[in-house]
Amino acid sequence: MATAAIPRSGKMTMSLEPALLIPVVGAGVLVYLAVLPLLMLFVGSFQAEVAPREFVYTLKNYHAAYASEYTYSTFLNSLIFASGSAGLSFILGTMLAWLTERTNTPLRAIFVPLAVVPLILPGVLESIAWIFLLSPKFGYVNVWLMNLFGLKSPPFNVFSLPGMIWVHSVGQVPLAFLLMVAAFKSMDPSLEESAMMSGANTWQTFRRVTLRLLMPTAGSVVLILFVRTLESFETPALIGIPARIYVYTSEIYLAFNEYPPDYGRGGALAVGLLLLSAVGVWLYTRATKEGKKFQTVTGKAFRPRQFDLGSWRWAGFGFLSGYFLFVVLLPFLVLFWASFLPFFAAPSWDAVTKLSLDNYRYLSGFRPFWDALQNSILLATLTATVAMILTSLVAWIVYKSRLPGSWILDFLAFVPITIPGIVMGMALILLYVAFPIPIYGTIWVLLIAYVTRFIPYGMRAASGSILQIHSELEEAASASGASWWETFKRVTLPLLRPGLVAGWIYICIVSFREFSTSVLLATGESRVLSILLFTMFEQGQVTVVAAIGVLMIATLLSIVAVFYKLTGKIGIQT
Amino acid sequence: MRVLCAFYKSFAISMVLAANLYLPGPALSQSLDELHKLAVKEGGTLNFYATLAQINAEKIIPVFEKRFPGIKINHVDATSDKLVARAVTEARGGKTLGDVLQVPLENVSQAHDQKLLLEVTLPESAEYPQSMKGSFWVASDLQFIIAAWNTGLVKKEEEPKQYEDFADPRWKGRLIAEPRDLEMLMGFAKYKYKSDEKAIDLWRKIAANNVEFHSGHSQLAELLVAGQAAVCLTCYSHHFPSRIKKGAPVNYMLSEGVASINGTAIFKSSPHPNTALLYARWVASQEGQKAMAQGGRTPAHPKVEPVDKTRTEKIYPISVADIKEYPRYEKIWKEIFKLR
Repeated sequence: MATAAIPRSGKMTMSLEPALLIPVVGAGVLVYLAVLPLLMLFVGSFQAEVAPREFVYTLKNYHAAYASEYTYSTFLNSLIFASGSAGLSFILGTMLAWLTERTNTPLRAIFVPLAVVPLILPGVLESIAWIFLLSPKFGYVNVWLMNLFGLKSPPFNVFSLPGMIWVHSVGQVPLAFLLMVAAFKSMDPSLEESAMMSGANTWQTFRRVTLRLLMPTAGSVVLILFVRTLESFETPALIGIPARIYVYTSEIYLAFNEYPPDYGRGGALAVGLLLLSAVGVWLYTRATKEGKKFQTVTGKAFRPRQFDLGSWRWAGFGFLSGYFLFVVLLPFLVLFWASFLPFFAAPSWDAVTKLSLDNYRYLSGFRPFWDALQNSILLATLTATVAMILTSLVAWIVYKSRLPGSWILDFLAFVPITIPGIVMGMALILLYVAFPIPIYGTIWVLLIAYVTRFIPYGMRAASGSILQIHSELEEAASASGASWWETFKRVTLPLLRPGLVAGWIYICIVSFREFSTSVLLATGESRVLSILLFTMFEQGQVTVVAAIGVLMIATLLSIVAVFYKLTGKIGIQT
Repeated sequence: MRVLCAFYKSFAISMVLAANLYLPGPALSQSLDELHKLAVKEGGTLNFYATLAQINAEKIIPVFEKRFPGIKINHVDATSDKLVARAVTEARGGKTLGDVLQVPLENVSQAHDQKLLLEVTLPESAEYPQSMKGSFWVASDLQFIIAAWNTGLVKKEEEPKQYEDFADPRWKGRLIAEPRDLEMLMGFAKYKYKSDEKAIDLWRKIAANNVEFHSGHSQLAELLVAGQAAVCLTCYSHHFPSRIKKGAPVNYMLSEGVASINGTAIFKSSPHPNTALLYARWVASQEGQKAMAQGGRTPAHPKVEPVDKTRTEKIYPISVADIKEYPRYEKIWKEIFKLR
């Protein structure tokens, strides 16, 4: 590690005071953000209210949560949903990654950015778009197919477990794609070359060598996809609940949102989900460490070889363009089309004559929309700023200061990655509804939630760039008499800037899309766009929802455009 | 420490009680304009926990805000059980944010069971019949659960005339409904047939046609417009006039329907008690009821007529006493449709 170069010099002791104070404050902030809500949740899961605001400790919440008549079906649904989505998004993501990275499929280069585009689409909109497309009776795809082939019944039903798996998977493909591209890029081709030289054909080489080399990475990618599906709430809320297919996240949500609210049971379910997710993340980190045994990156210079698909490359091209048209483009198109309709209608001449800008005109005078937009933008920028400042300090302490116990900070900053969004929302309600700080019901509680949830992302961006900076630069500054703070401000921070900007933009985007934490915390005046979409969709104003969606995507695209412009200037490789 | 806590608690409770006892007295005898001044002094915000759909709210709320300048309504809209659940959560943490609750009577009475509501008799409620008010609520509007259909999917000659028609097997797989509308079973049992058996028998026959369930009445109406089903069995009548005006392919049946009451109530620990009172009194007044009618709802005030065609010919009204029997009918309803 580069940090080994830091000398324990006299300069270090001179700057000890702030250097000690800051880690302690940092740890305090992290404990407050990440540990306190979990503690509250954990305690709450063992409490029952016997009289108004009088609690006793009990195990009956766990009994109600895990030994009810619905336990089995919820467990089974969650398992099928998570493994189905992990499997499907892995297969699609790997196909895309392999075709674009390792084969001679025509025009593959243009598909790389296209495959990542769905990241822009917030999960709520992804679900809504697919409801428009695959709803059994009015879904466009169903209507077209039924008309085309004269079918009696609709071929697809989005309101089903396979429907949920499909919708969630296509939203998750970009993640699988990016992880697998990284894996393919770093693979030493010599083994594949040996296989080819020994007479194996493309398919045999792929199956016997490439695939096996990928196994450890693939395992960890599938695991992380599984955990993320388990934690997700967009598809379970918009498709699962109406279809009465309940998974863990929807059970937690309903325990809180149905009368009478059952916090104990909700808490017990949340603790279970938290443990599952923590185990998943632990396995993942272990697997990625173990992965070194199957090292594919070596000191040797290499360029991954390309498979010649022969005439099959046109099939590859067909797959890529089909995927792009039907999976990436279609949801955008259907939202765009619906945003001009007065009410949802199948495409027809009659519908074309009804197209108008009414929904947009309506939104221009619709106060809740402007309030929510303002909240979303404010929260996204504030979250990104606070999270990046906090994590750059923490990352600096962890990787540069070499203070004893700094690993605790690293661990604390990693904890939130295990907290599912809905669990975080629930824990924060329980905490702040009873806490003396009056932020419950305001956007500040959302800010706390977002910052906490996205600290791990910030850490990744910040630590990545901190590790790249050789300590001799800082040492030079401190040798020239600069204090700890001056060194940080004038040397470290400017060097970190590109990485921090990238992290800032990323957190901005994920905050802007955030749904599963906000759904419990955002109310009335603290409502954000994703929640406005959800309530208005529940209220049936589906075409206005589509118009909001279009504007939301436009906002996100402009953030990304700014990102490209900025990163272009300061020269980050993206 | 414990003693201090207890002292603090009782002090806080007595303060709240004092505030509540003190407030309604003079505030009730005041004119709305005098109350308006007090409301502005409280900060000019009303936290309004109401199921009022956006399409209605956007017409009604501005009337209030224009009539009482300086007061902004912060409308927290969600389905009724979510709103009550939220209020319970807040009360549990000792942090009441809501001022006014305006939801179906069933949910008003849940909030009352949790001791969240203020006992108050508004001067405006004097003009309402006994069935439209109680010690902690007054009706804000009525809603009629009716059947509606997609005119593209239901031919003119097969248009339904009454609920018995839906027992016919030709409706198999063509029906949608709201899973929580057990008022239909109750209203039919108590007022249409005056017999549980007959009502259960009819709904069983209808259930045999594989009813598909979707939550939320606005969404049901939208699904019907989009063609998800031919008929919505439990839609709200006030959802259709505006949609028909826009050219949506729907029509609705006004021959019979179950009427349920939406009630307005004030939270006991409302952070803006005068503002809450101002809104509650305004919405119960003829003036407020006219705004409700203009906003597309069916007013509850006996002297205010609805603007749109929303009232049914035969009305099966769910009374406050009926609500007490909910659990029993809910069980039967869920059993008939195999709902969870």
